[in-house]
Amino acid sequence: MNAQWLQSAILRGASLLVPADERAEWLAGWRSELWYIPRRGSTVFCLGAFRDALWVRRNRLSPMKHLESPFSCLAFLALLAAAGLFLAILLPAPDTMARSQHLRVRDLLEGCVAMQLLSSLALPAIRLAMGPGANPLPWRNRLRRGIFLALKIALVQPIMLGGFVLTCAIPIANLAFTIAWILAFRWVLIDQRRRCPVCLRLLTDPVRIGSASQTFLEWYGAESTCSRGHGLLQTAEIPASYSGKPEWLALGDSWRSLFSEAAEVRQP
Amino acid sequence: MADGPRISHTSAMILQAIGIGHIYGYTVMEVTGLPSGTVYPALRRLERDRLIRSQWERQPIAEAALRPARKYYRLTRAGEAAVETSRKRYPLLAKLASKEQEVQDV
Repeated sequence: MNAQWLQSAILRGASLLVPADERAEWLAGWRSELWYIPRRGSTVFCLGAFRDALWVRRNRLSPMKHLESPFSCLAFLALLAAAGLFLAILLPAPDTMARSQHLRVRDLLEGCVAMQLLSSLALPAIRLAMGPGANPLPWRNRLRRGIFLALKIALVQPIMLGGFVLTCAIPIANLAFTIAWILAFRWVLIDQRRRCPVCLRLLTDPVRIGSASQTFLEWYGAESTCSRGHGLLQTAEIPASYSGKPEWLALGDSWRSLFSEAAEVRQP
Repeated sequence: MADGPRISHTSAMILQAIGIGHIYGYTVMEVTGLPSGTVYPALRRLERDRLIRSQWERQPIAEAALRPARKYYRLTRAGEAAVETSRKRYPLLAKLASKEQEVQDV
């Protein structure tokens, strides 16, 4: 096999782990470095790209822009839910789920309810494993966040049902489904925590404060801002007794003029 | 408690390597003997912590030399302070510089 082809394939494969908007520069950096590597060690050199790509992925601060607004997030989930239901109807039904060869509307409803029950059982455990959320909020904000979370969880059910029907044909279906299901719920909760409690938009412009190598017994982590000026969320990189949960700092109206989007909303 | 930044041995080695003039990722790998999967994420982490800063070489310079442009790294002031602190903490790191000098002398 051509070594250059192999190295290119390794770098391309690793680049898939890097967020799309940073991929081109990341790949250019690795390709330019590869040019200088002696041919003998170049394949081993390329294998290190996976670790680097994972680091970039794990330490990415900026959220997904296209899911920033709560409505676009729900619309995206609704689209996936429709695709999940379509798949569930189209593909042959698992033996345990249907009385006929394909799932019918009643089967889909039963399947979604079963998934919802399963989620209700596991959600507290997943939430507990992820640690505490931000400080207590006013009841109106909590209600809005609760409704948003409930809608996301409800929309995830058809997606998972479609995934279940899709994966039930493969030998490790149960394991694959369980992992996908846990990851889906983890995403739902992480997404919830990255949103402004007032307007439910994803928090933006993350700024890293402090650094692990220069800090001893002091807070360090990331501070994200609501683009409409509602407040700041401070999340510690490593939870400690003095910075266990994310801290939400609500900003008063006097701060709003500093935020361009807030100004745009007020002056259409 | 010692004042100044606290950094790991690997980070100290990389900072030291950049400090003595190995400003490219691959040359840092060569002089420290660390694999690419350690050096490149460490460079990113050090840049995030503002101990080093990176810059792409200007395209005309690279084109004139018929090679791709490279990213190079420089110590920031905080990075220089970190190197000084790490030399006290890891005295053997000084050998990295002296080994380099020996190679140049030969």
